[in-house]
Parts: sequence; structure tokens; C-alpha cells
Amino acid sequence: MEERLIDDFPVDWEEDHYVSRREFFKFMTLASGGLALGTGAVAVIANLVRAEIRFVPALIAKVSDLVPGQALAFTFPRPKDLCILVAKKDGGIAAFTRRCTHLSCPVEWDPERNRLFCPCHNGAFSIETGEVLQGPPPHPLPRVSLEIRGDEIWATGVVKSHGEEA
Amino acid sequence: MKSPRYYRHIQKSALFVALLLFCLVLVLLQLWLFVAVLENYLAGRRAMAIPAALASAAILAVNGWMLRGVYRVNREP
Repeated sequence: MEERLIDDFPVDWEEDHYVSRREFFKFMTLASGGLALGTGAVAVIANLVRAEIRFVPALIAKVSDLVPGQALAFTFPRPKDLCILVAKKDGGIAAFTRRCTHLSCPVEWDPERNRLFCPCHNGAFSIETGEVLQGPPPHPLPRVSLEIRGDEIWATGVVKSHGEEA
Repeated sequence: MKSPRYYRHIQKSALFVALLLFCLVLVLLQLWLFVAVLENYLAGRRAMAIPAALASAAILAVNGWMLRGVYRVNREP
């Protein structure tokens, strides 16, 4: 039986799995090339493919539809930019971008603890200012500027913590 | 008494292992750079992307140069 197998598959196991040091060096250089390409691609995407964002005011909700203590998700200014509008229990409203400043996970409204919470790494942000309350996020959440026109709530811009437009 | 050829072989072998270990360290450094750039990009920070990409390309050049050297060392008698 074994002889027949050897006849059918005449490749020596040890020879087949042997990787010379030179081959390993070649593989490491290839891996190095892959990593250099990957890092370069991220650099290109981060710096060159950055489209100019235009903040065109957008209607996001009606005041009469809001329930105190609840949140509403919306997108602004582009369809891929997730944001969250929170109707606070004291009657005020606040809106922030939903992308956690740590690794871009979407933050959620935590009504019990009155904060925005990122479930990925337990980051939390103040609903009043967007400041980091706990966890690894390095910056506060950018705030979405709101304008109330009659019964309508309009988003007009995105402001980072230090007042600069996002 | 061992021949000079034997000693040359031992020397080449040691050199090869040293280069291989150095290459490994450089690739790990590149991996760290890649992860750092990706994490910073996701956090909205772009400042380090280009310097890191240049550093990674420089490491690739060093690795390529070492690979060339390894082939040359092996070809010599």
C-alpha cells in the first residue's frame, strides 16, 4: 500500500517542505514590499483623495417629532458621514458626528448615563460638549451646528472642539 | 586542520543569519508603521502618513539591497 502511494506521489515530504534561508529572505523582502505598498496606499488615500467637503444646510428633523431622552441618527454633510441628534431630557438638543475619534466606530446614545458611548473600546463622550469622559478616544467628538427654523431642525456645519470647521 | 574554505563558509553563514535577523527586525518595524498609520488615519490624523510611507519605502530599499548582497555572497566561491 505504502509503496503504491510512493509510486503515485513521488515527492519527498522533507524536500517539499524545505525552505532555504535564501528563500525565507526573499519572502521577508516580499513582505517588506507589501507593507511598504500598504503604508503608501494609506498615505495616498489620506492625503490626496481628500474631497473638499461642502456644508450645505440640511433638514434633519422636526422639533415636534422629537421625544425627550431619545436620539435620532442622520447623515451630514455627505451621505456617508454618520451623525446623531439627541433630544435631551431638559428639553435641549445637541448633535455630534457619530464617528468615534479613536478608531471611527459609530457611537451610541446611552440615555441611562446621559452620554454618547462607543462600544468598541468603551469610550464615552459628554452630551453637552462632546468632551471625552472615559476610554481611549484622543479628541472630543466634533459637534454638528444646528439651526431651528420654525418647527424644523437644520444642520449647518460641523465644528471640531477647538472651533475649527471639520 | 580545517581548510580556509571551511572557515569562509562558517563566516558566510554567520553573516547570512545576521542579515536575516536584521531583515526580520526591519519588517516588524514596517508592520508597526503600517498599523500606526492605519490607526491614525481612522482617527482622522493624517500628518504622519507620508513620513511613515517614506520610512517604509526606505526600509524596503535596505531589505532589497541586503537580498542582493545575499545572492552575491552565495555566488562567490
